[in-house]
Amino acid sequence: MENTAYCVLAYYDSEETAIKYLDTVTVSTLMPGWKTQYIYRRLGTTTIVSDTARHALIEQGYTQTVVTQRNEKVLVNRSLGVSSIKVPMSYFNPVDTLVFSYGSISLKDTLYIFKESYPHVDYPECGTYRFHHITDIKYTDAAFDKIEISNPTVNYEGQENIRIHFNGVDQ
Amino acid sequence: MKVKKISEYTSMEWISKAVAACLFVLTGLNAHAQDVDTAQADSLISKQDTITQKADSTQEILMPGEKPKPSKYIAIEGEKKKLLPFMGFTVSADVLGPIMLLLSDNHHFEAALRLNMYNTYFPIFEAGYGFCKIDDYNTKVKYETNAPYARVGVDMNILKDKYQDNRLYVGLRYGISRFNYDLSGPVMADPIWGGSEDFDLKGIGCTSQWGEFVFGLQAKVFSMFHVGWSVRYKMKIHETKTQYTNPCYVPGYGKGSFFGTFNLIFDLNWGKGKTEKKTLLKAEIKE
Repeated sequence: MENTAYCVLAYYDSEETAIKYLDTVTVSTLMPGWKTQYIYRRLGTTTIVSDTARHALIEQGYTQTVVTQRNEKVLVNRSLGVSSIKVPMSYFNPVDTLVFSYGSISLKDTLYIFKESYPHVDYPECGTYRFHHITDIKYTDAAFDKIEISNPTVNYEGQENIRIHFNGVDQ
Repeated sequence: MKVKKISEYTSMEWISKAVAACLFVLTGLNAHAQDVDTAQADSLISKQDTITQKADSTQEILMPGEKPKPSKYIAIEGEKKKLLPFMGFTVSADVLGPIMLLLSDNHHFEAALRLNMYNTYFPIFEAGYGFCKIDDYNTKVKYETNAPYARVGVDMNILKDKYQDNRLYVGLRYGISRFNYDLSGPVMADPIWGGSEDFDLKGIGCTSQWGEFVFGLQAKVFSMFHVGWSVRYKMKIHETKTQYTNPCYVPGYGKGSFFGTFNLIFDLNWGKGKTEKKTLLKAEIKE
């Protein structure tokens, strides 16, 4: 039995006030390896991105573009109006890369979390955990004002680990 | 006719007088006899008093060089025993620890030496060796350690009568154990990013210190053999921190906050024979 410890990222405005972020936020992470993606475009319609080839769309007049890019996985899908999110952390990678996509901003933010991971057992009957100790963070500034580590230990207690300060002030 | 009547009257009068005289004489004789008995009794009592007085006077007579006995203390002889600073010691062994070998995944062997001061305070030293081997069926996590431990503390007999063999006590302990433990589990596999790693940690060092509140009793079975039990509430004071785990079993501390012992006790108590009488005699001799 394995239990996952989640990193808690709390939202604040630029003046240290806790907020609920009223925009859709999708958080994905870059995975090891590469993947092939199929992009379908047609004038007057929205672009469709797919992991598999869809020949029916070509028959409907879409043009197909095949691209190879870093493999990524969605960790938080379209969260809206929340004050914090919880994301799992990798067991063995020294750095986790989180990509933040916003509904109202075309740009994306990337957050790099540097960490040390180690196994943890409280009681044998409770199984094993993988705890993490955050050592450093780096980030881009499309929507982020600043980011700071509030509690470097990521464990099962669910305490706030990282404070994300967005641009602007809550009204 | 007249004469005859007179004579009849005279004879009747004489008879009545005679009867009265006899009664008077008999009453007088009886009274005299009673007076004689009372006098004799009085004389006997006075004789007994004299004998008693003689006997008392005989007891008070002392031979040359002989000192009077402290008769007023003889009545309380044997009731007042003296409490000494050091009245013996007890050696005990915990029976519950070996029994846990059959019932639990941990067990211990423990013995204790307890000093007896005034039959009230009992400084105690406990030492033992604890074993633990946990292999959880569901999680496949294994924990193993074995190490010695020691406790020091003091018990206080809270019974009002300090002279009896049974004791009800409360006490405090300070315990310490320095040990290494092994911790292992199934291979850890990352469910999102992939990859796996063995989880097998050997010889993690730890020093644990704790305190205990003790409540227990000890009862005499026969002669110097006693039995006793205690319940203990334990609190960790300090423990070496590791990021991997908190040791789930500490030798001497066990797993949880509550624990108990059942002891077989060999009680050597040589101070109980001392009595107050002996001390008083010594005091008088000095005078």
